[in-house]
This record gives sequence, C-alpha cells and structure tokens, in this order.
Amino acid sequence: MLAGMLRWLPAVVLFSCASFAAPMPAVAEDRKVATQLVAEVAAIRPGEPFWVALHQRITPGWHTYWRNAGDSGEPATLAWRLPNGFTADEIAWPVPERVPVGPAMSFGFTNEVLLPVRITPPADLRPGDRVVLRADASWLVCADICIPEEAPVLLTLPVVAGAPPADARWGPALAAARAALPRTSPWPASFAASAETVTLTVAAPGLRAERIAAVEFFPYAWGPIAHAGAQTLAVSATGLELRMPRGPLPEAVTRPIEGLLVVSERLDSGVARQAFEVRAEPARAAALWPAVAGALGLALLGGLLLNLMPCVLPLLSVKALALLAHADASASTRRHHGLAYTAGVLLAFGAVGGALLALRAGGEQIGWGFHLQSPVFVALLAYVLFAMALALSGVVMIGAGLSAVGSGLAARSGVRGSFFAGGLAAVVATPCTAPFMATALGYAITQPPLVALAVFEALGLGLALPYLLLALAPGRLPVPRPGRWSQRLEQALAFPLYGTVAWLVWVLSQQAGPVGLGACLAGLVLIALAAWLHEATRAARGAWRLTARVVTAASVIVAVGLTQLAPGVPAGRADGRAAGKEVAGERYSATRLAELRAAGTPVFVNVTAAWCITCLVNERVVLRAPAVTEGFARRGVVHLTADWTNRDPEITRMLGSFERNGVPLYVLYPRSGAPTLLPQILTERAVLDVVDRL
Amino acid sequence: MIHRRDLLIGAAAFAGASVIRPRQVVAAATVGQPAPAFSLVSSGGGPAVSLADQRGKLVVLEWTNHDCPYVRKHYETQNMQRLQKDATGRGVVWLTVISSAPGTQGHVSAAQANELTKSRGAAPTAVLFDPTGVAGKAYGATVTPHMYVVNKDGVLMYAGAIDDRPTSRRSDVDGAQNYVRAALDAVAAGQPVKTPLTRAYGCTIKYA
Repeated sequence: MLAGMLRWLPAVVLFSCASFAAPMPAVAEDRKVATQLVAEVAAIRPGEPFWVALHQRITPGWHTYWRNAGDSGEPATLAWRLPNGFTADEIAWPVPERVPVGPAMSFGFTNEVLLPVRITPPADLRPGDRVVLRADASWLVCADICIPEEAPVLLTLPVVAGAPPADARWGPALAAARAALPRTSPWPASFAASAETVTLTVAAPGLRAERIAAVEFFPYAWGPIAHAGAQTLAVSATGLELRMPRGPLPEAVTRPIEGLLVVSERLDSGVARQAFEVRAEPARAAALWPAVAGALGLALLGGLLLNLMPCVLPLLSVKALALLAHADASASTRRHHGLAYTAGVLLAFGAVGGALLALRAGGEQIGWGFHLQSPVFVALLAYVLFAMALALSGVVMIGAGLSAVGSGLAARSGVRGSFFAGGLAAVVATPCTAPFMATALGYAITQPPLVALAVFEALGLGLALPYLLLALAPGRLPVPRPGRWSQRLEQALAFPLYGTVAWLVWVLSQQAGPVGLGACLAGLVLIALAAWLHEATRAARGAWRLTARVVTAASVIVAVGLTQLAPGVPAGRADGRAAGKEVAGERYSATRLAELRAAGTPVFVNVTAAWCITCLVNERVVLRAPAVTEGFARRGVVHLTADWTNRDPEITRMLGSFERNGVPLYVLYPRSGAPTLLPQILTERAVLDVVDRL
Repeated sequence: MIHRRDLLIGAAAFAGASVIRPRQVVAAATVGQPAPAFSLVSSGGGPAVSLADQRGKLVVLEWTNHDCPYVRKHYETQNMQRLQKDATGRGVVWLTVISSAPGTQGHVSAAQANELTKSRGAAPTAVLFDPTGVAGKAYGATVTPHMYVVNKDGVLMYAGAIDDRPTSRRSDVDGAQNYVRAALDAVAAGQPVKTPLTRAYGCTIKYA
C-alpha cells in the first residue's frame, strides 16, 4: 500500500499545488484492508477509455463484499471526484467466493482483489499534461465482526498522444483480472420453482460430468434463493441443473433470476474457475407447453414438406399410384395399407430418434442425420435408391414389380409391403431437410427424451399424412384411372432418385476419399447388373435360372462388401461442421502441420472439443478476437484447429506427443525450432506476447 | 451500488402480504402468520417476558448489537431512539433483543444493557437476552439491526430492514424511507403493510 502510494508521490509533489497534497491517504495501523487506486496503463490517450481498479489487500480471516453481499454486509463504493469531462463506469465486479458466517452466507472476497472500473477521458486532453483521478472509497470488512472503512484514493497519470504503455506493476494483473471477469453465458437458462427449491437449468449440452469440479450460482438480488443453502448439481447430456433452496421473497420467482454461474472445470493443469452471467426465465408448465406444441406443429409441417423432397417424392408417388390403380379396392383394404405405411414411418422415426437420443445420452456429439456420417450407410442408401430408380425406369420389377404392387393390394404381403415402404420412406427422408424441421429438431434435442421423441414422431406423422389421408378417403377416389400417363410419370420420377443417388455418392466422396468413391461406383454397376440379370432371366428355367440367381446374389453381396472399403472418417470431424459450429482456423492434420513446418511457416495449433467449456470460451473470447486474428495475419501464422470432440487417434497422438491426454492444448510452432505451449486459459495478451516473439 | 439496492428494495416494496416459505437454513418467521412465541429474560429483572403477554398491543422487535457499525449508525444519529419514543408513546411495546452469544461482540450483562439504554437515551419497553439464539433463529434474524412488527393478534406484519439505505453511513439516515415506521402506521390504521418483507442489512448476528 505504502509502496504503491510512494510511486505516485513524486508526481503529486511535482505537479500539485496545495490542493493536491491534502488527501494523501493516511493508512491507519489497524486497517483491515489496504486500499489503493491502480491503473492498467501508465498514461492516458485523449478520448481513449482505460481501466483502473480499486486494489484491496484484505487481512487474512476477513472479507469484503460482492455486489450482492449475501445475507449481510455491503459492497464497496467509489464516489469519484474526476476532472471535467471524465466519466467512470460502475465497478465491473469480479467473481466472488461463498464466505459462510455462522448460519448465514456472505458473497465476497478474501486476501486480495482488484475491483476494475473503466474510465473515459475527454478527447480534448493535451498531451504532456497530468491528470489526477480521485475517489472516496468506502467498504465494509468483516470477520465475525464488521468494520466500515473508507479512504480517499488518487492516481496521477500523464497524457500522451500515442498508444498508452501498460503500467509495469499493475498492467498485467489488471489485464488478467479483466480477462477473468464474468462473461455473458453462451447457453440459454431457465428455472423452475417448487415450494422448497429453485432449480436452475442451463442448456449446455455435451458437458462431461467428470470434468466439472463444482458449479455455484450467485444471484444478483436478494429474494429468490436462500444464499446459505447447499446447491446440488446434476450434469446430463443436455446441460446442467443446479437445485437450490428457495429464498424468502415469494414474488422473486415470478420474474427472471439473474446472477453468475461459476463453473469449475478440471483441466490437466488444475481447475479453471469461470463465471458466466446468466438470466434464467421462469419455466412454468404453462410456459413450457406452448413451446412443445409449437415444436410439434413445426415438426408436423416439416414432415409434410418432406414428401416434396427429391428423396421421398418418387417413393410416395409410386405408392400413391398403386393405390389409385385400385381405386375400387375395398375401403378397408386401402385403410390397412394406409395404416401399415404410417406404422412403418413412425416406427422408423422412433428407431432413428431413439438411437439418436441414446447415443447423445452416452455423450456422443451427434445430431439429426448422424447415420449419414457413416460412409457404409451412405453407400447402402445409394444402392437402395439406385435400385428403386432402376425399377421406376423399367429395368427391373422388384418383387411382384412396383407397378404391379397394386395387384397384390388385397394380399397380406401387400400390406407388409406398405409397412416396409413406410420404413424406407422414413430412412430415405433423413438426408433431406425440409423447412421448419431444423427449428423443431433443434428444440427437440434440448428437451427430455419423451418430448424429443414426440417431436420425432410428429415429423414422421407429417411424412405419412398425405398417403394416409389418400388411403382413408371414403368412396371412390375422384381421379382418372392410371394408364399410359401414369407409366410415363413413374419413369420420370426415376430422375429425382438418380439425382439423390448422385448426391449421396458425392457425400461419400467427401467422407471416404477416392478409394471409397471407386468402391461405391463399382457397387452401383454391380447393382445395375443384378437388376438387369434378375429381370432378363425372370422367365428362364433350370440351370440358366439357377446361374442367373447365383450371379445376381453374388453381385449384390460384392456390392455390399465393397462398402467396407470406404475408410470411415472420424465422425467428430464431419460432426463439428454438420452441427454448424464455427471452427476458427483450418482443420488440423499431421500431414498439413508437417507441410507447413517444412515450408518454414509458423503454425498455431488449437486442440479443442465441443464439450470443453474452456476451449469454447478461449475460442470465442480470445482466438476470434480481432487483435489475435490480426496478430496471426501480421506474423503469417497459420491457425490449425484439431477437433477432438469425438475420439480421433491422430489428434490423440498429437496430444500424447505433448504428454497430454486432454484438451485444450495450444501450441505455437515458430518458423524453426521448438514449439511453445500456451496456458490452457488464454488471454489476448498471452497469445500476442508469444506471437510477437516470432 | 446503493442505487441498485434501492431498486431491489423498491421492487420488494410492491410485495403483497403473501405467505413466504420457511427458510431452509435459518427457519424464518413468516409474514402474515403468527409470530413465533418466545420467553426471554429482561435486563430489568423480574419475570421472563413472553410474546403471548403482549396480546392486544402492537409489538416491535429490534435485534441489536451495540458495537455493530450499522446499529451505531442508527443510535448515534438518534434515529433509533426517535423511533422508539414515537412508538412507545403510542402504546407500542418495543422489545430490543440481544442474541449475541457469551464472549461475542454485542453480548452484555443486564447492568451493561441498562447503562447502554441510559447513556444512549434509548426508550425500549424492555431489553431481552437470547444468548442461546433460540428466539433469533425462530424469527430468522440474520443481522443487526433486524426489525419485526407484530400486530395485536400476534401476527407478524413486517420483517426486514429498518429503512431503505443499506449502508453504515450516518448521512444516509436523512431522507431514508423507514419501513418500520410505515409498517406501524399501516397496522395502527388497520391497513395492509405496503412493504411487508425486505432484505435486512447490517452485521451478522453472533449466534452461539
């Protein structure tokens, strides 16, 4: 304290008249808190805001208070006496601790704290002048007893024209304190109040329970939550829930609850404590149901529109035509087909949705259409759609023949056919996304499993609805009897399917590279061969027929076997993009890193994962900050991002080479020589310091 | 900061006299419900003073600790004494309660308590000792001064701070809105208390 004040003494003496000399704070011997005003900068630039802080060194065993002091106490105040044209913001409160005092709970600070304040100077300052900032600081300091203390504080800073230099003593500490200030929560939050508890729900999907060391909530206001109560944490795949005893003010739970969510995450280097500013809306049943109903409505609409998508339309049209062909079939027969088709769709959607939820609950970071991340599945789907397209083109009659499906309408096998057609429609629909679907599905995966499944099934019902309505229509269907026109229509409908096959093959080429692509194309040729053989030898007898059947079966088996040649890409990579997550920088691979290093290019490698909060915060706050991206550009640094969201042996090896088995990991490779490891909690300054040393 | 607190308490001022839940940690008395019974020794000697004996009269309970800066704020400005005299002058029973455990700040003997009353010019009906903290915890008293108003039927009508300036600055007494005075006026006039529950401010009570 004294030393800090002495630093300013010469300035004060030099530039002050009597008016400056008076308020040098006399430090009483029995003070529990030593206070001084410090600045991040060593000088002021006219018009450019800068940060100062009230530094408190607190006697061990004593504490001062946060903005919500808890059950007792009072936060520090600063009454500024600034020169003309200067403005001071409110204190930017740092993250508090829970300080139990008997049966009560205080929220505050122990040992040492910096209370940052942003000051904006006027633009018309004259470089070369000196400016004195003064304030009357007052605060309460308590152990078991409380003492109000106060002190005038002051700080003298010169005015400069250029970029102000950092203060040598306090610059880094204040920059670090600002970097540790609470950030706006990236996750939506809500709360539910019961008679005894308030349960805060934060939709932070994909957290790993074993990495969360602790979560605390500090409300901004007295009333909604009993400050002293134990807070019970539950982490699930959809986020975290914090159950707290309810506070004394009944109406406090009818309004949003605001406060800090403080998450302590286990990292390799220790525990990182980060605070997020949360505004939780009351989630009463009444507020929840409209959201569910809205999502169900959107899903139904999305399902209806799916019928018009190129993957589904041909299939549906064929089914509809078959139904029309036998418009005079009995109403009950048509009803059976309609219901069987619907059941097939719903079951398939239930299976896909259920698998999705189960895998997510198991910690997998996957989204809708996750099965398309498997190249094997994509290849098989391409085969099925190709075979259907060939059938529509008239190359082959599958089973009784698609056009002849109608003739089997009354048969049991016809009803079973409708059931499978429904399942097939659901499966081929999944690669297509209709309008409204994304919103409904995005909502679904953040909800409890039953609500999520209901949304999936609403989507299925929407898909099945047109055919179901057609099947249930009473009496004769008022349409022209199928004839030549319907044959031509069927043939034309093959082309959307060929288009879908082409798209799937393209997807596969991204996933599986040239080898997988070649295998799949060869498989498609074999499927065509099998189709032609099957059709050409339909009427054959004896050995010919047997040979044809064997070759057909062999072609299909080889085609299916070929899909195994597609070397799967790690799902996590495709996933990060599919989920629409912005990834800073270029994708990491050992080869790319080696290439860049061989070319003498400096490289920054960011090993991250979607489930790592620290990683996301670092990316959001530091790595995407303009100062950092500009710094990289200035020094020609290439930014590689290694996404470890899902297991990836290549990245695991990379981590292992730094004796790590966890993220985040930040490595800067200079043009030549040994790489530099950066801390797991990044600050702009830390990154720029290393980059500027290149 | 004061500004924010003012907003908070302002928000609380619109509270209806609805039922509040008991607190989990310090089981609090509930506004609108019968105030918890107690029977405590008085600094004046004589029989123990109980809440039940006060039926038919308005009662103010004031938790205190004479060394607490927040208590001193209100005594050194005569704010507390003025309120005590106004209230007792209208027939209100004013009970000052000390829940500081022996050996902690604020714990005093009967003689010291009487001396404090005299030297400060205070005017409570009685000063009561709660060294085990039983009464304080029953009311959910967390700080000094923590204030309560009980009506003639023994129902708790107000719980919380003395006023809307949660500081230890003496200069904040002038112009503050005194919640206890407002509650007494409303109850005496048979009207609902506009602000029945506020965040009490002060020093934590030094419970045993």
